Parts: sequence; C-alpha cells; structure tokens
Amino acid sequence: MRKVIANPLALAGLLIISLILLLALLAPWIAPYDPNAIDVKAILLPPSMQHWMGTDALGRDIWSRMLFGARISLLVGIVAVGIATSIGIVLGAVAGYYRGWVDTIMMRLVDIMLSIPTFFLILAVIAFLTPSIWNIMIVIGLTSWMGVTRLVRAEFLSLRNREFVLASQTLGAKDFRLIFIHLLPNSLTPIIVSSVLGVASAVLVESGLSFLGLGVQAPQASWGNILTDGKEYIQFAWWLSLFPGLAILITVLGYNLLGEGLRDALDPRNQ
Amino acid sequence: MTFIRFFLLLSVLLLAACSESTRTPYSQLDQQYAVESGGTMVDALSGEPSGLIAMLAGESSASAIAGNIFNSLLKYDKNLELTGELAQSWQVSADKKTITFHLKPNLKWADGQALTSEDVLFTWKVMTDDKTRTPYGADYKLVKNASAPDPQTFVVSYAHPYAPALDSWASLHVLPKHILQGQDINNSDFSRHPVGSHYYQLASWKNGESISLVRNPNATQGAPKIDRLMSRIIPDKAAQFLELMADNIDSMALNSVQYARIFPARPELNQQFNLYKELGNSYTYLGFNLKRKPFDDVRVRKAFNYAIDKQEIIDGVLLGLGEPVSSPYKPGTRWSNPKLSPYPYDPEKAKSLLAEAGYSDHDGDGIVDKNGQPLSFEILTNQNKEREMTAVLIQRRLKEIGVDVSIRVVEWATFISRFIKTGDFSAVVLGWGLGQEPDQFNIWHSSQQEPGQFNFIGYKNPQVDHLLESGRLELDPDKRMKIYHQFAEILYQDSPIVYLFAGYGLPAIHKRVKGIDNPAPPAGIGHNSYEWYIPSTLRRNEISAN
Amino acid sequence: MLKYLLKRLFWMIPMLIGISLISFFIMHLAPGDITTTEAGFNPKASEESRQKLRELYNLDKPVIVQYGLWLERMSKLDFGNSFASHQRPVFWQTTDENNNTKLGMIQEALPITLLINVLSMGLIILIALPLGIISALTQNRLPDRSITLFVFIGFAIPGFWLALMLMYWTGVAHHWLPISGLHSMGADKLSGFAQGLDTLKHLILPVFISAITGLAGISLFVRNGMLEVLHQDFITTAKAKGLPEGTIIFRHALRNALLPLITIFGLSIPGLIGGSVIAESIFAIPGMGKLFFDAVLMRDFPVIMGILTIGSALTLVGNLLADLSYAWADPRVRKGVMQ
Repeated sequence: MRKVIANPLALAGLLIISLILLLALLAPWIAPYDPNAIDVKAILLPPSMQHWMGTDALGRDIWSRMLFGARISLLVGIVAVGIATSIGIVLGAVAGYYRGWVDTIMMRLVDIMLSIPTFFLILAVIAFLTPSIWNIMIVIGLTSWMGVTRLVRAEFLSLRNREFVLASQTLGAKDFRLIFIHLLPNSLTPIIVSSVLGVASAVLVESGLSFLGLGVQAPQASWGNILTDGKEYIQFAWWLSLFPGLAILITVLGYNLLGEGLRDALDPRNQ
Repeated sequence: MTFIRFFLLLSVLLLAACSESTRTPYSQLDQQYAVESGGTMVDALSGEPSGLIAMLAGESSASAIAGNIFNSLLKYDKNLELTGELAQSWQVSADKKTITFHLKPNLKWADGQALTSEDVLFTWKVMTDDKTRTPYGADYKLVKNASAPDPQTFVVSYAHPYAPALDSWASLHVLPKHILQGQDINNSDFSRHPVGSHYYQLASWKNGESISLVRNPNATQGAPKIDRLMSRIIPDKAAQFLELMADNIDSMALNSVQYARIFPARPELNQQFNLYKELGNSYTYLGFNLKRKPFDDVRVRKAFNYAIDKQEIIDGVLLGLGEPVSSPYKPGTRWSNPKLSPYPYDPEKAKSLLAEAGYSDHDGDGIVDKNGQPLSFEILTNQNKEREMTAVLIQRRLKEIGVDVSIRVVEWATFISRFIKTGDFSAVVLGWGLGQEPDQFNIWHSSQQEPGQFNFIGYKNPQVDHLLESGRLELDPDKRMKIYHQFAEILYQDSPIVYLFAGYGLPAIHKRVKGIDNPAPPAGIGHNSYEWYIPSTLRRNEISAN
Repeated sequence: MLKYLLKRLFWMIPMLIGISLISFFIMHLAPGDITTTEAGFNPKASEESRQKLRELYNLDKPVIVQYGLWLERMSKLDFGNSFASHQRPVFWQTTDENNNTKLGMIQEALPITLLINVLSMGLIILIALPLGIISALTQNRLPDRSITLFVFIGFAIPGFWLALMLMYWTGVAHHWLPISGLHSMGADKLSGFAQGLDTLKHLILPVFISAITGLAGISLFVRNGMLEVLHQDFITTAKAKGLPEGTIIFRHALRNALLPLITIFGLSIPGLIGGSVIAESIFAIPGMGKLFFDAVLMRDFPVIMGILTIGSALTLVGNLLADLSYAWADPRVRKGVMQ
C-alpha cells in the first residue's frame, strides 16, 4: 500500500475512485433534485446556480442525474467484473490445477469465446433479453472472463510446483483445500489488478452501448446515455456532453491509474 | 507529447493548404435571382437503400430515391388531391368496379424506348406474381382483370368497388417491360442499375457512401431545374448536423431542439439556411392491449386519456412543434373530423372515472388498486428519442392519478416479434405513418387481429367494422368523408388509444436553393422540388467542398 | 515442429465448426428475422407475403436444419447472398449471364477497414515505441508519469465524444479536414494520386481516434517489457563491460523486449478486420463494423455468419502465426515447443 501511495499517479487514481464512489453512495442525499423530475419549462438550460450542470431535453437536472448515473455506471462495472472474475477464477483454477485434458478443453473454450466478437454476443443477448441494467451487467460479465481465466491458470501452473503445495499434498490435503486455501490467495495479485482494470473497461463499454442504443435505457440515467443524448447538440448544449464525458474520462483514468499502480507495487520483480 | 502535436499540425496544414475553398458571402444569399438550370443539390440519408425497386425495397431511403426515378399512373398534387402523372385522365365505370386510365402520349423511358400501357400491365403482373418477394401485393391482387387494349389505355376491374384502388395506383412505380421481361425481378441487376421515366436517372451508386442522380433528358414530366441530386449516406445525426454547418450538405431534417433552440442562437446559421415547417404524415399514440385487464374497461381508458396532458407533451418533447390529434388522420385533411378535439387535461375527472371502475387507493400507498391488485403496468416503446421522452411524461402524469407505470425501451425487431406479434404487452407508445388514403381497415377491423396483422391492440367494434367495410366500397369523396368522420367519432368514444400528437417535419435548406414554397402547402415543400433552382453564382464548387 | 503445426491445423477444423455452431444458435436466439425487420410494420404489407419470404429463405425450418444447409454451402466456400440487401453476395462478387457484376459486401467493406486498421496500427507503433522506451528509461520520473497519464487519457476518453468534438473543430470551426465520408464530392474527377490524397484526408480523424485508444496498451507493453529486460543480468554485464548506452538500449534490450510484441501482432490479426461500429457510424465509413451491426439489427443471417466465420478463421490463424513466429524468434520457446 505504501508503494501505491508513493506513486503519484496511482495515488491520484485512488483518490479519484474514492471520491466518485463516495459521491455515488451519497447520491440520494446530496442530489438537489429528483433525477427523473421533469420540468417542461426548464428545457436545455445552461449551468447556473439553480442547476450546476444545466438541464437536459426534458428539463431534468444534470448534476442529479450524474450522481445517480454514477451509481449505475459503477454498479454495472463492479457487478460485471464480479461475474467475470468469479467465472474466471473457477475455470482458471480448474484448468491450472488439474491440467491435462481438462486444461486443453478449457483453453479451447477460451479460444472459442475469444473468436466470437464480444459486441455480437452482447447485442444478441440484449436483443433477446431486452436491454436492462442486469442484462447488460451479466452480458459484459459473460464476455470478459477469458482474460481472468488465463491469468489464474498461469498463476496456478507456476505455483503448483512450489514446495508449499507439494508439502501440503504429501500431508494429504484435499484438492479443494489446496485450491482455495493455498493456491488462490497467492494468485490474488493479477486478479485484483485485472478486476480494477475491468471496471474501467466496463464503464467504457456501457457508454459505447448507449451510443448504439443498447445501453441503460431511459428514463434511468447513466453517464453513457446522458452523453449520447447530448451528442447532437455538442456545440450548443455543451454541458450535456462535457460533464458525462469528463466523468467517464476521469473515472476510467482513475481505475486505470490505480490498477497499473497496484500492478507496479505488487509486482515482485520491481522490488 | 509536443512532437506528436507538431506532427499532426504539420500534416493537417499541409493537406489543408491543398484545398482552399471559397465560401459564398452571406449577403449574396438573400438576393433575388432569376430561374436558371443547373447545379447540384446535396442531402443526407441516414440509411442506405437495399435496392431501387420500390416494391422490393420498402425502407424510406429506397422510396425517397426511387421516387425521383420512377413514375406512377397517378400522383398527389400540392393540395393532396389525386392527379395524373403518367395518366392524363381516368374514368371509373358506372358500377364502380372498373377503372380506365388514359396515358399521356409520347411517353418515353430514360433509354429512349416508348412507355406504354404494356409497361403498366407488365408491372402489375410482376407485383402480383407469387414469386415476387414483395409484401405490398395485397391491394393489387384484388384486381380481377387487367388489360392494355391499346398502348395508351390501361384497364383494371375489381370484383367489388374498391375505394383505395386509386391510391394504390399512385404508389406503383411503373417498370420497363422491355428491360425486365424474362428476368427474375428478385435478383435482377435492375435494382442497382434502374431505368426509369421520371425527372432523374441514376448516375452513380457508391456503396455505403453516396447515390448520385442526374437529369433524365427523356423525363415524362418535363425537365427539372437542378441538374444533379446527390445523397450522401451519413448514419449519425450529429455528423449530419456538422456537415450542414460546414456547408457540405444542402438540406437536413432537423429535430425540434435544432430548430427551436440551436438555430435561433446562431445567427450565422440563419444567414445561410431557410427553415421550413410542414405537418408530418404520422401521428404518435399510446395504445392499449384491449384484451388485457384493466384496458378492457372503457372508463379506465378514458381516465388515462384525461390524465395525460397532451399539450405538455407537444411542448416538452417537440418544443411546441406539433399539433394535437383526435382522429386517426393528419390534421387539416378532409378525413380528419373537425368536430373532435382532444380529451382535455383533467386529472380529477380521470380519478373519478377510475373510482367508478373500482380503482381507488384502498391501502394508502399512493397507487390505486382494486381487489387488492394495484394498477400498474409497463409501457413499451422502441428506440426513438421522442417516444422515450413521451413515455416519461405519460409516466409522470399517470403517477399523479395513482397509476404506477414503468417504461421499457426495446430494439425494433425484438419489439415486433417478441411483443407485438405475440400480443405480450400492456401498453405501447408507437406511431402510425399515414398515406393519403383514408382506409384503415388493416388497423381497426376486428378481422385483422392475427399475429403479424395490424390490429394488434385487439379492437373490436361491429359498428366500426361496418363503417370500414363500407368506406372501402364508397367512391364518392364526400360520402366517404362522412363515413370516416363517423368512424373517428366512435373511436373517440371508445378511446382504444390515446392520440398524442402529430409532429412537424422541420427541413433546413440552404439559401442557395430557390423556388421553395413557404409556408408549406398540405403536400409539404417537396411537392414542387423539380422547380427548385440554384442560381449559378451560388452553386457549390465541387472538388473543394470537403 | 511439423507435428506441432499439423496438430494445430487439425484442431482448427472442429474449432471452426464449433464456433460457427455456437454463433448460429446465438444468432437465432435473438427474436425476429428479416421478415420482421423489412417492412415489418407497414400496414400495406401482408402477413402471407412475409410468410412466403420466410419459406424462401428457409427461415421456417428448424434451426439445426438451417445450420446444416449453411454448413453445406460453406463447404463449397459459398457464403450465400444477403437477405437485407437484396441478394448482394456476402463475400465476393458474382457475375450473371448478362455480365452484370454484383460486388460482394465483405469484398467492399474489408479493404476500407483494413486500411484504417493498418494505418492506425502504424501510427500506434510510431508513437508507442518511443513513448514506451522513454517511459522505461525514465522509470517513475516525470517523463514516465506524464506519458502514462497521456496514454491513459487517450484510452479513457469516450471515442465518439472526442470524434464529434474534433469533427467540429477541424471541420466546422476551421475548414481543415472533411467531416465524414470517404471521398469529397467530385473526387472521381481527380487524378489517381490526388484521389488517394483526398481519401487519406478523410481518414485522418478516424485513424487518429482509433489510434489514441490503442496507444495505452502498446506503450505500456513496451515499457514493461523493456523494464523487465533492463533489470536482467545480461544488461548489467553489458553496462559493466562499458558498452555505450545507445548500443545497450537498441541492440540488446529492445530486441529482447520486443519479442512478445510479435505475439501481439499475431493476436491483432483478427482485430484488423473488425471495424469499430461507433467510429464507422460517426464518420460514415462503410466498413466491416457497420456492416456487421446493420446485419445484426436487420437479422441478415448470411452476412452475420459470413463475417463471423472469416473473423474466427482469422483468429485461429492469427493465434497460430503468433505462436509460430514467437517460437521462431525465441530459441528458448522453440525448444519447448519441439519437446
């Protein structure tokens, strides 16, 4: 942790993420307006004292929508990564531990999944299930577990032959115990790093999906859909695009800086 | 970091130096100019046509382009009255089952061959051939007998008088027999290399990029003033607007915000473009699944109608650029019943109607209920910004009378196949595109409720059925009008849908294009687009138009 | 080596079939088909004609039968014709009896996408290599930090937002660059060279946007690779031997650090044919991304399957090439593979 703080970029990342998480958590209490409160007389107003970030095409306060949108965007990122990581850990552990034909099949499965374009999967599933926050989270999760699987497998493969594992095996420890109590905790580093980076990607994917009309749907606010709503008025209602764009930029930046900082700090080779 | 910027700047400057364009000073744009032929008009398409044979390619981009290439027997004039295009006159027989069209003399195809009634007959045969992959054949299959007794005459007869017949002949693009005879129309190259008879012919089609039309010297309707029409394929609306601002396209359909907020705030845009307002050909509505409770109760439906503030929707969603609707027709046309006006915004009345139907807030949770069941449902709509915003406003108003509404936005293909076709929905916000023909049999007749047919809300009213049937048989316009006015009144009383609005089309056209009617007549500004002209001093300088 | 190669090639066939089977089924999971998307809601269109269309395209048969039909055609390398674009061939052009040529959809979209991707890759390498090296050499000092920040910003910025802002700045506020499309009006009247220049001008923004997002990955990769190598013993030896800094960096460190880059190239081969839907929509570029997206929305099954098949075939080939070239370049890996 000290290493992370010593790295100014990683520290910045940590601060950014903490701030955003804090704002997102406190949203219901600090948002000045109901994010869905329509005011037909206040359409597309520029930022002012009453509306810090201006209003959108239905007169809704953007600052409030941004706060609640933060919850959505972060939730999508965290849950999606949670799903991807869980799947990745299980599959990677099994492949790395048991090796042999189990490993071969797992790796072929990973290859197959990597060959099918993510976007296509997302589109098909969302079209089938209809876009909703949960479906988006699940789909992003189901299409990004491959990287984690490879990482966990690689760690397991290398750790497997270490003395402490062989020692436990001779003592008669069961597979389950070995995997969860010995191997997994030692593989955490790449998992943590990849999770942090994964959240960043998920936020970007959601904004991309919104552009195509497949992201979080109205009337719920997400940074992606606020940004997309404003794209036709970039020069005129600049506030509709500037704030969500900056928010996405800063958040993704924060996660990436933290993730890379963690990777640097926890990498034994840099010590 | 700096060397990257330098590198980029250098390359940009180098390339920019190769293209200096002269922009017309704005003052010149407002002057008066004499009519001249020539010039190119550029517009933007959001989607690319799949082909230019209208009976096979139904999308709007295809019909927009094909409409400049092909003729029909009839067309609609500026006041939306039927008039001849290829036909100079027509007669309906006394028993109203036969129509005889007399074609204009000396009609030619773009390749110089004569256009005769044989071509019309051929086109009808293709349209009604089972092997032709067209979904639009139904109207034409009602023709019992079609013949071309001489090159200038085309005769069709129906088993029963069919009032919508004339409209169907105004939408059938006549195809050349001498080219298409013996070919499989579904796979024919003609779709990409059409030969028509109208003002323009296809000059080039660059896939995914642009479609260019050039004047047809053999045009049956005379010569257009503008030499070339170019349609650039620009899928993204934001990019289209940028191109408009950079003077790379001449016209674009604006949305309400661009029309009412952006243009007024930008003097340089107003100096370059003229804005027009024309009533669109569609209306948006909130439809209910009449086979589901509580929508089978007319009091509940009326309650919703009173609870929704339609003017608020027009002001909020369209920024005032639309009109309220109370018949299923375009306002201002003869079919629209002038005696009807929309249900006023009256939440108290709405609440009392709900109470009459047994819905009130028994458990104090803010939502009305009946027999322990709260009144809550989901509104479905497709991915259309206006419809989404409309649904949000409806949700809020219904909340005020104690009805809990959630909104779901669904992609189009899924929307149709998974929800509409199966009847698995409660309420939808959708629109109907309207032609000039008042027959709405397919939408409101009780026999049209099969999956895939258009009475998907499940409306059943024997009186309406009868009116719709007689409307099809009645050829006299005044009598028809009365039938459809009555039809609208019954619908009004039944309130199976809540009419929301009919929006305006808001084209912005560069001032270099002269000769446009303003204000727009009922047919819209496009009715005389062939008379628009671009004075030579204002024409675009082609290569440097980046 | 040969045995390894054969084994990999052998595995490719079942994998391709597996991928196509999965893709086919997923495709059919999404509700609707071409008859719902085309004229699906026009009151003038009748249900019987739509039903006929369904029969014509074999859409009424069970999915596994449809897959079988598709597989049969594919075995003859016939990709079929598009449903939505009225029988345009999916892959390569066809010429009928009257000498009318219909260009293939992939045939037209692929070159553009390839061009953009190759240019973008080139730009990335041009910029990322020096950035990565500088970053590694100045580890944890200001240049390293600022470069890291810069590339991360490039990665984090939502692409379409940056694109629209740049389009406005370069195209509207200043008339430096074209805004969208591939050719200027009347460009076909220019000489070949001028036409090429015109196209390049149109590609500047799309390539730039595409590159700026990919910068982070490669420059970090180079940086970390260099760092790893720089800390190794043989570098210390070289320094102790008194070799000049430049030689150490370029002849010794860089070559070793760049080996893994080969893997990246191999793995990015399939990416070369995948266009970004978002960039292509915004810049009105008719590439593979837009082709695919439109096909999915229109439920144009032949096109979807065509693109997926080519994509997965290229992925497998790319993986194989990456592994092979890495083995060729790095003697340690070669030995491991041969065992």
